[in-house]
Amino acid sequence: MNTASGSSTARRSEGGHAALWCRSHYSFLEGASSPAELVETAHALGLRALALTDRDGVYGAVRAHVRARELDMHLIQGAEVSVRGGARVQLLAADREGWARLCRLLTRGRLRSPKGQSVVDLEELCASAEGLHALWDCGEEKHTAALRAAFGERLHAVVARHRRAGDAREERRRREHARVHHVPVLAATEVLYHDRSRRALQDVLTCIRHRTRLAAAGQLLRPNAEHALHPPQDFRELYRDDPDAVRRTLEVAAACTFSLADIHYRYPVETLPDGSDAGRHLRALTLSGARRRYPGGVPDDVRRQLDKELALVQELQYEGYFLSMHEIVRWCGEQGILCQGRGSAANSAVCYCLGITAVDPVRMGLLFERFLSRERAEPPDIDLDIEHDRREEVIQHVYARYGRSHAAMVANFVRFRARSAVREVGKALGVPETEVDRLARMLSSYGRFDDDSFADAGLDARNPLHANLARLTREIRGVPRHLSIHPGGFLLGHEPVDRLVPVENATMPGRTVVQWDKNDLEDLGLFKVDLLGLGALNVCHRAFDLVESSYGRKLSLATVPPADTATFDDICRGDTVGVFQIESRAQMAMLPRLRPRTYYDLVIEISLIRPGPISGGMVHPYLRRREGLEQVDYPIPELEPVLKKTLGIPLFQEQVIRLAMVAADYTPGEADQLRRDMAAWKIEGKIERHRERLVSRMRRKGVPQEFAERVFEQIRGFGEYGFPESHAASFALIAYATAWLKTHYPAAFLAALLNAQPMGFYSAATLIGDAQRHGVEVRPVDAFRSAWECTLEPCARSGEGSAVRVGLRFVKGMRAEDARRIVAARAGSEAMPGSTGQPDSVAALARAAGVDRGVLTRLAEAGALDALEDGRRDALWDALGAPRPVDVDAVADGSDARAAHTGGTAEHDDDPAVDFAALDSFDTIRWDYDATGHSTRGHPLAPLREALTDQGLPDAATVRTAGDGDEVHYAGMVICRQRPETAGGVVFLTLEDETGFVNVVLWRKIYEQHRILAKTQAFLGVSGRLQVESGVAHLVAHDLWTPRLATRPVEQRSRDFR
Amino acid sequence: MDRTACVEIAALPLQLLLRRRPEWRDGPVAVVDRDKPQGTLLWVNARARRSRVESGMRYAAALSLERRLHAGVVPAGEIDAAVTALTRRLWNFSPAVEAAADVPGRFWLDASGLARLAPSLQDWAEALHAALAADGFAATLAVGFTRFGCTVGARTARTIQVFVDAEEERGALRRAPLARLDLPVRLRELLRKLGIRTLGAFADLPPEGIRRRFGADAQELHALARGELSPGLRPAPWHDPARAVFVFELPEENALRLLDCMETGLRQLLETLDARGEALAELDLRMLLEDGSHVDERLTPAIPAREPRPVQELLRLRLEAHPPACGVLELRLRGHGAPAAARQATLFQASGRDPDGARRAFARLRAEFGNATVVRTRLLDGHLPEARWDWEILEGPTAEAAVAAIARPRDRGRLPLVRRVEPRPRPVAAPWSGAWYPAGLDDGPVEELLGPQILSGGWWVRETTRAYHWARTRNGRWLWVYHDRARDRWFLHGELS
Repeated sequence: MNTASGSSTARRSEGGHAALWCRSHYSFLEGASSPAELVETAHALGLRALALTDRDGVYGAVRAHVRARELDMHLIQGAEVSVRGGARVQLLAADREGWARLCRLLTRGRLRSPKGQSVVDLEELCASAEGLHALWDCGEEKHTAALRAAFGERLHAVVARHRRAGDAREERRRREHARVHHVPVLAATEVLYHDRSRRALQDVLTCIRHRTRLAAAGQLLRPNAEHALHPPQDFRELYRDDPDAVRRTLEVAAACTFSLADIHYRYPVETLPDGSDAGRHLRALTLSGARRRYPGGVPDDVRRQLDKELALVQELQYEGYFLSMHEIVRWCGEQGILCQGRGSAANSAVCYCLGITAVDPVRMGLLFERFLSRERAEPPDIDLDIEHDRREEVIQHVYARYGRSHAAMVANFVRFRARSAVREVGKALGVPETEVDRLARMLSSYGRFDDDSFADAGLDARNPLHANLARLTREIRGVPRHLSIHPGGFLLGHEPVDRLVPVENATMPGRTVVQWDKNDLEDLGLFKVDLLGLGALNVCHRAFDLVESSYGRKLSLATVPPADTATFDDICRGDTVGVFQIESRAQMAMLPRLRPRTYYDLVIEISLIRPGPISGGMVHPYLRRREGLEQVDYPIPELEPVLKKTLGIPLFQEQVIRLAMVAADYTPGEADQLRRDMAAWKIEGKIERHRERLVSRMRRKGVPQEFAERVFEQIRGFGEYGFPESHAASFALIAYATAWLKTHYPAAFLAALLNAQPMGFYSAATLIGDAQRHGVEVRPVDAFRSAWECTLEPCARSGEGSAVRVGLRFVKGMRAEDARRIVAARAGSEAMPGSTGQPDSVAALARAAGVDRGVLTRLAEAGALDALEDGRRDALWDALGAPRPVDVDAVADGSDARAAHTGGTAEHDDDPAVDFAALDSFDTIRWDYDATGHSTRGHPLAPLREALTDQGLPDAATVRTAGDGDEVHYAGMVICRQRPETAGGVVFLTLEDETGFVNVVLWRKIYEQHRILAKTQAFLGVSGRLQVESGVAHLVAHDLWTPRLATRPVEQRSRDFR
Repeated sequence: MDRTACVEIAALPLQLLLRRRPEWRDGPVAVVDRDKPQGTLLWVNARARRSRVESGMRYAAALSLERRLHAGVVPAGEIDAAVTALTRRLWNFSPAVEAAADVPGRFWLDASGLARLAPSLQDWAEALHAALAADGFAATLAVGFTRFGCTVGARTARTIQVFVDAEEERGALRRAPLARLDLPVRLRELLRKLGIRTLGAFADLPPEGIRRRFGADAQELHALARGELSPGLRPAPWHDPARAVFVFELPEENALRLLDCMETGLRQLLETLDARGEALAELDLRMLLEDGSHVDERLTPAIPAREPRPVQELLRLRLEAHPPACGVLELRLRGHGAPAAARQATLFQASGRDPDGARRAFARLRAEFGNATVVRTRLLDGHLPEARWDWEILEGPTAEAAVAAIARPRDRGRLPLVRRVEPRPRPVAAPWSGAWYPAGLDDGPVEELLGPQILSGGWWVRETTRAYHWARTRNGRWLWVYHDRARDRWFLHGELS
């Protein structure tokens, strides 16, 4: 190269370079920086462009796109594709067609491979070349020739200088290879992190991927930290001998003009039955629905609203979306599956008339624009709650209707949380696994990793190993670990989904998933159909069925009698264990103060106990105004229409947004940004940027500083979790229905709740205890009376006329198949040829049902064999010695000739009788808990009451009658722990005994003093002062202790929440 | 009547663990079978049991009961070594000692006739207990009439229990709580549920029902509890090392006379071992010197020796290499025997070399230069040059292993870049604007510098960052130098060979 041409080229390259080979942490367990960090750093360093080339995926594409759009940075979309034989090639999308081909290629590679892997054939790669640039490491000759033929000038031989020992030799080889095949050379660095400081994290991720320790990883780790983004100057210096290779990066970047903004998404159009267009069909369905909703005639305001909505839907071409949601709801109805739309869809009268939602938005005065607006130009979001047990049926229906090519589920990224981070980083660092496990258990999944947690676990923060553990755990938190699946989100496309985004297999058979999560879809304006499982709907369905079968009364969500006085009386007392949305301890404490008497009161109640209103300090002002203790006024008169129905206090998300528009003169665009920033609560700092703008503008309009500050705090709280009014309205319907069932059919409600477990706030033991205190007779599991599920039995003593029989499903280790055999066996001749009736001994039951000793043992321990033996120990002894099982089904169909010949009597029991001591009440309950997780015969503390009383410790009922300010010493079982982030370090415990609950408040200082006890003790003693307000008592603790009893009560696992 | 004793060093592995981690003593602790959350607890201490943590649980499950639970692994080798040492210790108290095969820390001793050596069996037991306590072991002990009775007695005793007669032993056995015995977890749990809390109540259960419900092991326990089985003692063979001692009236300084004594002693040892059917595997030599110090040497013949000659040669070499600093007052020889093994596979057979000669050569090298002299290379997988291999001491006469471990380049098709690496990188002057002489003036200044190749890592222990360069000196040497970033210094690490 002569000097003149060298200078000329050098001048050209002064324009910088583009980083074309970058992997983010979406190359799972390999890249150590987020796409946003890469984009931000590239922008800050002055790079001309950055290509994101994650391994066999585009998982981070949207995150990078969003950040690049904000920074006006040139982002190139691409991926590193694994080719059969071990080669890899980086593909960069030049245009929309190239992107579609890349997505389809990755889809092929993924769908044929086990989860987490992908491989494509060279032929497939070559066939996808159009619209793509390829960076090639000059591997096998035959590959190069084929790629050169397919990609032509768009194939580039990549050389990379990472200052490794073999770099120079490898580069010589590549250059020679490129020369022979006439492929231009392009300079690159394999970027794995945005900054060198992430090298340690990258090493740890490597260890996690290879399941090894740092000390043993050897050359699995990169030899140095040369995988960060280079500043342009450094990159030029690195390749000062070949500026053309640097210049080519810019040429490739210039040629790659594709952006995710180029994706023009269309929702699939429904096949219409009568050949009419989608708009007309939607209108017809809507009006038909309106006539059903308003049998007395559609009111004018509703008609006007429908016209307005339908016009906008048609204008925005969203008819398909509404029609498909309607189709899913209709199909659910045909299948007898309970479902109900929620979220902002409840603001739509069209959705109400189509039966998608159950709240009348016109009567409720809900704001349609919150759901859909021309200005916002983003897709509507309809979340459909489906009874939990049957959601999979609906999912498979959607696949069947739209086809695998046009429907795939939305991804969810499993990220490192505190516990998993500690475990995996600890292992990589070589901390003994048992120590790591112990530390991890000290943390909640979402917990902080602070010095206290360290100290509690016995680790020393001054120890370098432990310090590394702390530092890296913090760094790795939030990093995606692998792809999972959204609970019910679907992406449906008019064109095949794999032209938009790669599709891959989910772990669950029969499901496919796209490589983007719901935030990605929202950011790109793609439509998502959310089919969510809701346990409460399951409870309702089961309870309705039980009521119909036991009492002949047919009910549905729509026919539950509204405004029932008795139901609201119970709600006002806070008697809501098991009631949807208002059963938490905080909700129960609020109910006697708020005293809901109408459906709308319930909407407020549900919205009030949320982080938004709590952290915004709105709860108490609202209560005072409601109780008439404080005058209802408005900071400025213009806010009256916004805040009138919540007495001048903003409680709902949409009120906050309207408040910003009215009181702080937010433009629609700013308001929309505020709403988005509230939704993106996980990204720190987004809300903060509104503080100054909001507060200062409100101040200028005359809003008091204190109110403005509170509004901002509330916005921040909403950022974490706040309810829009429409959402609360949907939930309030289900809350009311479950409360009504609890009031009028408590036995049916309990049986339904137990059958729907696990769900809700309380364990089965607590639910049963609460029902018993309400007079419901709950009968223990019985091998001769119980079905698999809990059932109702006639009961003359009960007001409802029924008792609950606990089902066999509660016997630990019992399978549905075992239960079926037992139920069949006790029916006698139906199951066993030659059988004369119900088994009369454990051995006979074993022979008849063909169940093994393990099942019989568990039944004996649960007391389910009491009908056969006087004592449970006798039954256990018999169960342990029961004959080996024979296959009763084989006997029945004659395939087990030996068993058939003996009538299923494989062995017979000839043990001499043994007298075992009967269980005392304490052991009876303990056995119940051990075998079934609850006891219908008593609370674990009931047998200890005398001993507790002797120590001067009252029961919960007595505590509740004590006066405000009384000093109380109490001991109970901890059934729930909560440490809400909005509570400033305050911890709430719910303790329980045989007479009910005691709410305990631990101020931060007390909690710090007794942290281990508070976190770990199942049976806890509390000393404190009682605080009684509106009939609700809280024990404000000043001391925690371990009660001293000769016998320890059986321990229940508490349900702990953040 | 024959007397038997049982010594119970409860949860011996746990006691070993707590010796290693004394800071754990005050908290709940367990020994696990492997360092995994799913590892099974093998032994737990009282503090852990208070939280209902029991052996047989998974560590993860136990943590849900007791979050402060510490756990560690005690390797089987460590336990075996401790059991062996304790067996030797107990031989001081009884010639017949049996270590329980399945419960480390449990020993049975023949206590018959020992009352004649001690004032009473109680005194004998107390002396034994005190000796173990002095060694740092917490033990309980029972002296009785049957092996099972003593075992139960030792498990239930606070410290020492001496049964006066068989009836007393039987009564204690019936009263013994099952919770204190080492029953399998499932059996223990089922019996607890059945309300069977003592060994007597267990013995009263119908025998025919036991096997069907609880298996053969439970049936055997049941028979033991009913007195229907009474296994005898199976003491470990007493393998005392062969010894020879020479005491000199005046300090002996003459090496030849010392060697002569050693050879005499050696012949005695060989005769003793030969009578046991053993050969000499190791010879310990201790010389007490007149200045009060002592010299310890260990010699290992190429193969266990039955003849004195090869060992004599090693003794001579060692004595020549390390003569005593002053006169020797006492000479002690201790020979460890091993069964005479079949002839080893022949080394270098294909090449016609002499394997015995190789072994003898290794033995001579060790004798003359120390046991760490014979080493082989082990290739490692690190990045830093010194982390690419290690020297491994070649133990014993396994020359075959040495051959197997010969390092070979991975890619035989390519000429390797052979570097002669310094044992320790040598600091050199830093380059400056003038001429740079990292290898001294004789080689001339560096005329060409290639690199850098950067090696960095080890941040989890101590961060190392080196920028390696090839430096060509005027006389054509290619030096391998690096700059250490942390120390900001240059080092010469090697040279192209």
